Amino acid sequence: MTSKRQMSMVMDLNKCIGCHTCTVACKTLWTREEGKEYMLWNTVNTMPGMGTPKNWENMGGGFKDGKAQLGKLPSRQEFGDAWEYNHKDVFYGGKGDKTHLQIEGETPTWGPNWDEDEGAGVFPNSYFFYLPRICNHCTNPACVAACPRKAIEKREEDGIVVINEDRCRGYRFCMEACPYKKIYFNMEKGVSQKCIFCFPRLEQGVSNACARQCPGRVRFVGYRDDQNAPIWKLVEKYKVAIPLHPERGTQPNVFYIPPIGPASFDADGDIDEQTPRIPDEYLISLFGPKVLDALDVLKAEREKTKRGEKSELMDLLIAYRWNEMFGGFDKNPATIEWA
Amino acid sequence: MRAQYNAAATIDAILNPHNSQWQAIKSSVVALESTPIAMQPTPAIRESWSTKTAGNIGNVSVQAVVNQDLLAIRLQWNAPNQMVDHGDNTVFPDSAAIAFPLAENAPVVMGAPDMPVSMWFWRANENGEARQIEAAGIGTSETRNRNLVKSHGAWKDGKWSVVMARALQVPNESQSPQFKLGSTAQIALAVWDGGNTERGGIKAYSGMQWLELILTEGNS
Repeated sequence: MTSKRQMSMVMDLNKCIGCHTCTVACKTLWTREEGKEYMLWNTVNTMPGMGTPKNWENMGGGFKDGKAQLGKLPSRQEFGDAWEYNHKDVFYGGKGDKTHLQIEGETPTWGPNWDEDEGAGVFPNSYFFYLPRICNHCTNPACVAACPRKAIEKREEDGIVVINEDRCRGYRFCMEACPYKKIYFNMEKGVSQKCIFCFPRLEQGVSNACARQCPGRVRFVGYRDDQNAPIWKLVEKYKVAIPLHPERGTQPNVFYIPPIGPASFDADGDIDEQTPRIPDEYLISLFGPKVLDALDVLKAEREKTKRGEKSELMDLLIAYRWNEMFGGFDKNPATIEWA
Repeated sequence: MRAQYNAAATIDAILNPHNSQWQAIKSSVVALESTPIAMQPTPAIRESWSTKTAGNIGNVSVQAVVNQDLLAIRLQWNAPNQMVDHGDNTVFPDSAAIAFPLAENAPVVMGAPDMPVSMWFWRANENGEARQIEAAGIGTSETRNRNLVKSHGAWKDGKWSVVMARALQVPNESQSPQFKLGSTAQIALAVWDGGNTERGGIKAYSGMQWLELILTEGNS
């Protein structure tokens, strides 16, 4: 199942402003059909937080001692479901001035972004950051390992993990096994569905919708082994891009530049540069101990720039030439010819 | 077991699980057991289900009707928690299947390479049809046809009654078993308790041996 090459993404958490343009770009392109209402192949959640699906980090899955584990099946409610609104009453029938937009049916108790901007910490040292997530297109995918029907393939040419809907019978062992809970079940079609890393766009030289549409220029795209492109430099050369929950053993191919966060205030209200607002332990719980090395490199390179010296890394992260973020998949989306 | 001859039976009428014609048909109770967890196709499933109870449905009552035109089989089992659909990701529809060997000595559990088995598969969320599925080994099952076998399931008083019926003889290219009056067919049975997240290979089945179903000829 080894792929010849591997497509990859790096997301810079220092730049994500939580605007959800990525989520909307993905939703608009891939999950508008019936049965996909509650699906968000791309999500952005506030961390620390419960995320989507609710409490996904404690739902199990991934590998333990090299063996794939089946965790919990997230319910639609835990994913946040798709709320119905009274659009008809508000927008049609001439009652718009008297009718307020509201949710129809039961009042929801959870949503795909329920705990947005809550974060953690105590004022004035409260903190949060945004964590955008897609399928990690893992090198060792637990979903592939769990499926009894060989319905999930890791594409040989680019390592993108896709579900073959002709083979899938909707058993959802993949949903149980994925430690990132990034697989959704389509009730209408009776099959599981997930992020396809926009492979039909890549095949036409256009980068992923979530990356291309990102106003914050958070996302880098490309082959992991392309030494002339940013991904390789960020992951391999500078080692500042690291995977989320590496301890789950799936070897993700989506990497994160960890958030440096602000310094904290001391008891006198003075800035204490030695104590980061985002606790190291929390970042280690997400990204493993290597996160501290990555932060050290980022801080050192930042200091270099402050001193007026050149930093290839900072130039890359600032994305002066944003088209170069896409590892050669930089064609204009308007050129796409949809079949 | 015997499939009783009933010259008057038609597929349309006999498909109704509560049709009075079924009352006259002798029923046999077949004990079911969990399919061996060690035979599940992936280590993840084997490990996860090694500590769970699979094969919740302990037995199924079987009746069969045959004539020149059709073979109909009614399965009934106790299912206090009826599952007709996928239920918010976390549960699965109740299902039942009847397997037939397509080759001599085909293993009951999903056949083997060159020794395929054919199945009639009913799932509560696809009530009305029964998939004709073929498998030549665990994890290889493919739906071959969705029109050849008809079904109707009805849930009443904590019990599923499911009829699956098909023409006695079907076109050869359908790769479906052919039945002959007076002959003995081999069958195996499986039932999935959807509320127990049973799906795929996680099910209750009638064991490693094929059961015999005598297709009686005339009113003998």
